[in-house]
Amino acid sequence: MKHWLTRIVSASNRISVRLYIGIGGAIALTMTTSLIAWFSFIRVGDTQDRINEYVPDMVTDFLLAQQNNSLSAAASRLTAAVSREDFARVSDEIAGELALFEERLNELTLQDDTEGGVNDIRSGAEALIDNIQAIESSVAERFTLGERSENLYAELAALQQLFERQLAEATDDQFFYTVTGFREIDAPPVDEGVHFTEPELHRFRYLMELDFASTLGAQILAAVSNISDPNQLEPLRERFEAAAATIDRNLRNIGGEAALSAELMADFDRLVEMGSGADGSFALRSQELILAERQEELLTTNRALAGELGVLIEGNVSAARARSLGATLEATETTDGAQNLLLWINILAIAGGIAIAGLYVGTLVERIKWLSQRMRRMAAGELKAKVEMSGRDEVAEMAAALEVFRHNSLEAQRLNLVEKLAEELRGKNEELEKVLGELRQAQDQIVMREKLAALGELTAGVAHEIKNPLNFVKNFAEGSVEIIDELKEVLAETGEELTDEQRELLLEIGGDLDENLSTILRNSERANRIVQDMLSMGRGSGEWGRADMNTLLTENANLAYHAVRASDPNFVLTIKEDLDPDAGEIEAIPHDLGRVFLNMVTNACHATDAKRKKIEAETGTSIQPGSGGYEPELTLGTRRESDTMIVTVRDNGSGMPAEVVEKIFNPFFTTKPPDKGTGLGLSLSNDIIREHGGTITVATEDGEYTQMRVELPLESRLASQAEDSEQDA
Amino acid sequence: MPSMTRRLLSSCCAVTLAGIPFAGAGAQEPGIFDDRVVFGQSAAFSGEAQELGINLRLGIEAAFEETRVGGGVHGRVPELVTLDDGYEPEAAIVNTRRLIEENGVFALIGAVGTPTSRSATPVAAAAGVPYIAPFTGAEFLRDPQWNNVVNLRASYYQEAEAMVRHLTEDLGTERIAVFYQDDSFGQAGYEGVTRALARRGMEAVALTVFPRNTRAVKTGVLELRNADPEALVMVGSYQPVAETIAWSRRIGFDPVFLTVSFVGSNALAQVLGPGGAGAIVTQVVPFPLDDELPVIRQYRDALTAHAPDAVPGFVSLEGYLAGRLALAALQGAGPDLTRARFLDALTTMDRLDLGGFLLSFGGDNQGSDAVYLTVIDDSGQYRALTNLNEADGP
Repeated sequence: MKHWLTRIVSASNRISVRLYIGIGGAIALTMTTSLIAWFSFIRVGDTQDRINEYVPDMVTDFLLAQQNNSLSAAASRLTAAVSREDFARVSDEIAGELALFEERLNELTLQDDTEGGVNDIRSGAEALIDNIQAIESSVAERFTLGERSENLYAELAALQQLFERQLAEATDDQFFYTVTGFREIDAPPVDEGVHFTEPELHRFRYLMELDFASTLGAQILAAVSNISDPNQLEPLRERFEAAAATIDRNLRNIGGEAALSAELMADFDRLVEMGSGADGSFALRSQELILAERQEELLTTNRALAGELGVLIEGNVSAARARSLGATLEATETTDGAQNLLLWINILAIAGGIAIAGLYVGTLVERIKWLSQRMRRMAAGELKAKVEMSGRDEVAEMAAALEVFRHNSLEAQRLNLVEKLAEELRGKNEELEKVLGELRQAQDQIVMREKLAALGELTAGVAHEIKNPLNFVKNFAEGSVEIIDELKEVLAETGEELTDEQRELLLEIGGDLDENLSTILRNSERANRIVQDMLSMGRGSGEWGRADMNTLLTENANLAYHAVRASDPNFVLTIKEDLDPDAGEIEAIPHDLGRVFLNMVTNACHATDAKRKKIEAETGTSIQPGSGGYEPELTLGTRRESDTMIVTVRDNGSGMPAEVVEKIFNPFFTTKPPDKGTGLGLSLSNDIIREHGGTITVATEDGEYTQMRVELPLESRLASQAEDSEQDA
Repeated sequence: MPSMTRRLLSSCCAVTLAGIPFAGAGAQEPGIFDDRVVFGQSAAFSGEAQELGINLRLGIEAAFEETRVGGGVHGRVPELVTLDDGYEPEAAIVNTRRLIEENGVFALIGAVGTPTSRSATPVAAAAGVPYIAPFTGAEFLRDPQWNNVVNLRASYYQEAEAMVRHLTEDLGTERIAVFYQDDSFGQAGYEGVTRALARRGMEAVALTVFPRNTRAVKTGVLELRNADPEALVMVGSYQPVAETIAWSRRIGFDPVFLTVSFVGSNALAQVLGPGGAGAIVTQVVPFPLDDELPVIRQYRDALTAHAPDAVPGFVSLEGYLAGRLALAALQGAGPDLTRARFLDALTTMDRLDLGGFLLSFGGDNQGSDAVYLTVIDDSGQYRALTNLNEADGP
């Protein structure tokens, strides 16, 4: 029992349990509110259904009222119609309106009638329809009458014109006759006693009166159409009858048909009939006025009927509206009740939520925040502070786990540090070893340089020392040659004393000596050249000055060419010049530069010659210039650029393989036979050009060509230094 | 732009060829077709003045027929639609409307009478339809406000002036009376005579009216006789005028009778017969038997060709000249015909010679100012006069 209680108490400390309880509460709350809302919706829906039942009633009533209004308006349009076409159009419209009206009426009758209003509406509507039809037929009648009176007035106008002309002529004729006695133009005049008499004068008066009375009668009839008050018809009728009586009296006085044309007589009869006849102007106008009055009454009735019907329909609408209002009110009450209930539940839920948040969630969030802060600090490397938290919930457990994690991390960090130090040490070691290697190399280079310097000095010393004995050897060899020549002269002068054999022998010995001496001479010259080259290595022998590049190049090239040519009569070479005429002068040591060019051209000569000989050896033919085969060729070029002078020496000789090109500037490197080159030429040239602040580059292809390119600054930096130093001195 | 117009025209003529009436022809003015142009005439073809309408139409049709045979003007053949107004103003209005709205005429031509023209002119002006050569000399039609009206003939004032001039100068007449129809035509003639007299410091010795559209002239004749004039100027249609001359002479009242062109000279001579001898009629067109003028010969040829039985007369000659005037305007308007171009062609024409009958529209809308004198001889035929003394024959 106690154990069970403890479990419950301890479980209640768990966040998960608390969360479950919270969610469960929220679900219960939501369900409650939903149920409340659901029940109120059902109630509102019920009332809405009821309202929906009333709405079609109201719509029908409304449409009926509308139709009623347009019908009563259309009725007055009927009476206002001015022409038959107009009337027919309005009639059609009304027929349409009536059809719609009856349709609405039927809809209404079909509805469930609980209050008996529909029957009243129906009978009211039928009365209205009858009335409208009565108006329609009366308007139709009015048009018929109108057309009849129109015809009547047209006839009247024609009649009036006829009277005017005929009576004017008759009066004119009578007057003329009375005065002159002429009746017909062809007939002779009658005696004055016959024509100028009282009866003739009276006849003239009768005609005048007839003219007047007929004009008056026609005018009265014309005026009838304008009468709108029926009471005014009677006085007019009396006046017309008076005029008719005057016409009648005067016609009788004149002598009737005997005196006037039958046509005119008939026209007078017609005029009287137009006034007093059953179809006459008065009768027509009277009917029109009665009709107008009746129409007015019908219209009044129409308005009254429409008004009554309107009231009935309005009543129906009001009843429906009252019912639907009741239902709406009910629905409103329901929604209001539900609204209040939901509002209270919401307030309670919000208050509860705030309380829970304040009491429990706040603390929990604080704890989690503290823990997360610790974790972040640990992640940032702060592992020293201990993680400690009170409580028995999941957060406390996490804090405990974090503490363990912190321990492990500290341990791992330590191990990591040792490994890193070892790694750094290895790096430093390697670096030191590398520096050591470099140091050793540098040391070797220094030693080598020292050795070379010593060798240089030694060479210069040795060369100087060898030069003197060499001069002796050379001089004495030359002297020996002269002596042998003298010996030969002596032998020639005194040779008779000797036998031929002796002379032969002596000459042979002399020849051998000559040969030996020339060998000595040649070799001593070679040794001398070597010594000379050795001496010139490393130092300039000329002075700074202005050197015209084109001249310097061509002179030295010619020198070299002739030197080679002198030693080999078979040598051929075409020298081409691609010289910049503006090449001009540069600051240089002309002597040294000349040596460089001499050297380069000599090499080029040898290269082309080697190729020529090689080809001759392969083909077994002798190559001559212009023969079409291989043409040994040398191209000399100069070009002055903005701040450099470029000199090129290009041959189409044997070229060089790559491994040779690498070494050509090394001292003592040569591909020539020992008696042709010392291996110092290009090395020396390189030194000279470098001394001038320039460079030599080689472009070559084995067996095809070689091009040496010298690039020299126009104003040598070294030259200016030299000048500076001279000035200083 | 011209190609546009041509396209418009050709589309219009395509429509008319398809048999759709002018109303379907779109923006083009009514009465103008590719192959014809329609004129309308409302005039008296019945009643007292029918001779005028009938002869005027005859002349116009003769001129139109002449052109039709020659292929028309700019490819268009003129056509004439006529309606009878019986010399009644109301009918003239109705007819003019019908011609414009229903028949869709291009222009109106050859109306007869002053009261009828007075009623019809505003209708035509409102519709912008040219109103050509009305058979009247009434002054109101010479008012420059009518930019659609083109008059052919001299005015009544000019006729009256010519009468008074000849009476006073040729005969030395001093007593002149005026007998006029009780309408605007009569008024115009009476005004003209009164003015002409007033210019000479004279007054009419009697001014008498007779009711319009009747022959009730005899009472007036008696009144005039009492005034004892030497000359009587009559302004009215031919029947009452003939009646006046006949009855006056019957009762021995025989002044010099003069009347203006409107009477319809042929009809007057016919009604009077030899009894009308000596009656002077002023004319606004040359004598129709005068062979001197080319236009008269053309007229007689055209009349013979159109109506072989017709007798040449002043009214049909005026009709012919009216027709020729309309054709000259069509010619002058060019191939792209519009009402404005048609009217412009006339008003900008300084001098138009219709075969010896000279017209000039400089400054006014009246072509001719000429007034000619004629007299009815004993055989009841007309004779041209240059001086009233010549009328005193046997």
